[in-house]
Amino acid sequence: MLVALITGLATGALYAAAALTYNVMFSTSKVLSVTTGHISMLGGIFGAWFLSTLGWPIPLALLGSMFVGALFGLLTDFIAIRRVLARSDEHLWLLSTLALATMVQQAAGLWWGTEPKPFPRLIPQDFSAGLADQKYWLPIATAILLAVALELFYRRTLYGKLFVAMSEDAFAARARGIPTNRIRSMSYVIAGAMGGLAGFAAGQLTFAYFALGLTLTLNGFIALAVGGLGSNVGALVGGAALGILSSVATYFVGGEYQQTISVGLLMVVLLLKPAGLFGSQSVRPV
Amino acid sequence: MTLAARDITKRFGGLTALSQVSLELRPGEVHGLIGPNGSGKTTLLNLLSGYYRPDVGEIAIDATSISDATVQKRAGLGVARTFQKPRLLPTLSVLDNAMLGGWRDARAGFLASALLLPQVKADERELRSRAEELLHGVGLSHAIGRRANLLEHAEQRFLEIARGLAQRPRFMLLDEPAGGLTPAEIEHLAAVIRVMRDAGVGVLLVEHHTDFVFRISDRVTTLDVGAVIKHGTPDEVKRDPEVIRVYLGA
Amino acid sequence: MSNSKRLLAIALVLAALITLPWWSGDLYKLHVAALICTYWILIGGLNLVVGYSGQLSIGHVGLLAIGAYCFAILAGTHGLHPAVAIAAAGALCALCGLLLGLPSLRLPGFYFAMATLAFALIVTEITLAQGSLTGGGVGLAVPGFSPPFDTPQGTYWLILGIATLVTWLTWNVARHTWGRALVAVRDSVVTAQAVGVPVFRAKLTVFVFSGFTAGVAGALFAVLQSYITPDTFVFDLGLFFFVCIIIGGRGHILGPAIGTIVLTALPEMVAPLAKLGNFFYGLLLLAVVLLVPEGIGRVFELLVGRLRPRKDESHVVKPDLERLARAIVNGRAQ
Repeated sequence: MLVALITGLATGALYAAAALTYNVMFSTSKVLSVTTGHISMLGGIFGAWFLSTLGWPIPLALLGSMFVGALFGLLTDFIAIRRVLARSDEHLWLLSTLALATMVQQAAGLWWGTEPKPFPRLIPQDFSAGLADQKYWLPIATAILLAVALELFYRRTLYGKLFVAMSEDAFAARARGIPTNRIRSMSYVIAGAMGGLAGFAAGQLTFAYFALGLTLTLNGFIALAVGGLGSNVGALVGGAALGILSSVATYFVGGEYQQTISVGLLMVVLLLKPAGLFGSQSVRPV
Repeated sequence: MTLAARDITKRFGGLTALSQVSLELRPGEVHGLIGPNGSGKTTLLNLLSGYYRPDVGEIAIDATSISDATVQKRAGLGVARTFQKPRLLPTLSVLDNAMLGGWRDARAGFLASALLLPQVKADERELRSRAEELLHGVGLSHAIGRRANLLEHAEQRFLEIARGLAQRPRFMLLDEPAGGLTPAEIEHLAAVIRVMRDAGVGVLLVEHHTDFVFRISDRVTTLDVGAVIKHGTPDEVKRDPEVIRVYLGA
Repeated sequence: MSNSKRLLAIALVLAALITLPWWSGDLYKLHVAALICTYWILIGGLNLVVGYSGQLSIGHVGLLAIGAYCFAILAGTHGLHPAVAIAAAGALCALCGLLLGLPSLRLPGFYFAMATLAFALIVTEITLAQGSLTGGGVGLAVPGFSPPFDTPQGTYWLILGIATLVTWLTWNVARHTWGRALVAVRDSVVTAQAVGVPVFRAKLTVFVFSGFTAGVAGALFAVLQSYITPDTFVFDLGLFFFVCIIIGGRGHILGPAIGTIVLTALPEMVAPLAKLGNFFYGLLLLAVVLLVPEGIGRVFELLVGRLRPRKDESHVVKPDLERLARAIVNGRAQ
């Protein structure tokens, strides 16, 4: 039972990290990108490649994963967001990010192979560590670290404040001379680095697996919607709730209905509180 | 039969957009609604057509409250409207856009439509001839088969009026219909509005083009900062010192 | 195109399709043709959801799977007549469409897309979990149709017939009042409400219809596959259906139909494309979204428009007041 709880918490932390990634991109562009989970997928795969195949030292591999994530974030903004946001059709970003996600996932599958591959140990530790195993607490620590860092970033730095201003009213922000295009690109780079880091930290839990992206896009979104779009505390709570619920359910009824249960959670929350647990923004009917 | 707003108050967050506003739209009259930007004209129009719900007060047709009726329900009760920025279906033809207005009069359901039952053809004939007559009437004979995204601004405005009229409305709410029109086009608009009025439609004219409003309205209501400051005939309103002070700025 | 010309074109295409077994050469091509028709039965219905009412469902593969398993279980395990099993598959999927649409169609676009994605994953989960019913990971053998549809040719003709019927049904919907209302739901909800279109009910209606066609397609698909496992219904297939419509063009029927044909046949003919698989679909989707967001169908329309002589492009509004007065008075008298 304790193992189920800690597994759930760790998986939930990864979902929470994905939800935070959604939030960062959403704040400046009002886009929920389908590529969100794929960033972490790339972080995991490239992390494993840097460490196992290229034999890079761990800090370098970590930076490498974050760099790949950041690059992919920038690419997402450049290819799938920038041109599409200029048009009025509100559905186009969904299509363009979906297209990009599909391409990346297939490319990763072709290059890396479709089998999950193990992710090396990051810290010397015996495999009998049980509950204290790094594969559990690394993602948990990462998610908390990301959330705290984001809050500090939003509150303490000039760029963070610009993000908040853009999130509240992009039009007014532009009118006041804020370079909205550059800020948005920056948010995608930051989101990419965050996702790369999360994928790297959770590598031992998820393995380096090309199909992780879509699952993470979905479950990260569920965590986000449960916690409340735009809220970082909500992302953490939503992720933890989702992870723990599905692993406890697995413990009691078996693992066959994980997805059904997580969607059930989403539906219940959306019915009771459409804006999510910590959401302030109401869901706009667009 | 009148469409009325009675003592309406509407707040958005902490901001009071309208406070205790009343307005009555009678059939066969043109009722002008003027006021500076942000005075609550469009908010009132959205309350009348059902996009907003009042916080206090009621919207009614005669004695029947329709405050809680959806936009769709009000369309069925004879309330039609146009939009400040024309909202057309850009990929459909002008004719199709006008025919959309007749949706409520089409009797064939989804399955009947799919199976092409005779009712579908009958609906289609009726809506088509109605829409064609209206399009010729508002002056779009030249553009009937054109895609709506190829229309120029004035054409879009007149098409919205035709679509609204295809709803066979008792009340027509026009949101700044003269915006962006040339003087000649404004004359056409005035003529079209008079025809609507003479045919018994109650026309609410939201405009900040004051000369135009005073010229063709039977009655005028003036709003400022969410409250009615003067209500009466164009002459009365024009001469009201309060109106002159806050609005005409003369 | 004038009506008679259009009828002639339709008749020619239909004749070519009906005689396909005699000139296609081999049975494999016939199989691909039957597969295209099967996909089209689903995509034709889905087109009303995605292409007309603008609801981006990426999870219709879940409905396809339900239809396929329903057919395999009823016609195979329980030995029901295939025709009954097909109808039951359609009805069950219409019901599933209703149950999926009721909570999700009220949500904004991205939420809805995610809900359909989750639905597809849930269906896979359930087929794996309910092994006694579905065969679990091992799968189920699917019986063929009953005579005269038990030969490859017969199967093809049956599927072609149903595909033609679905095309006709969606054409009728798209070309009349309902089609306009759906486009209004897609392009301007505010306008749809203003003219009285019940937005949610309209979305739900076409979603249930698309569930029905997806169920029927699932049954036919199962027969063509002759053996189904959860792996037959990978999520990529759902994406494929969706991409066919977007590439073909929203608000068209011919465009998505051509999209279905090309995207199914191309990987069969060009081997490297099959290897690239989803990457290729993703690339196409991206190219269309960035370059011609209205789809290939619109490009085609524009080309046809170019060939026509340019008409007088007047933009002068000249009201005919007497006619207007008559039209309004007539309308109010009704």
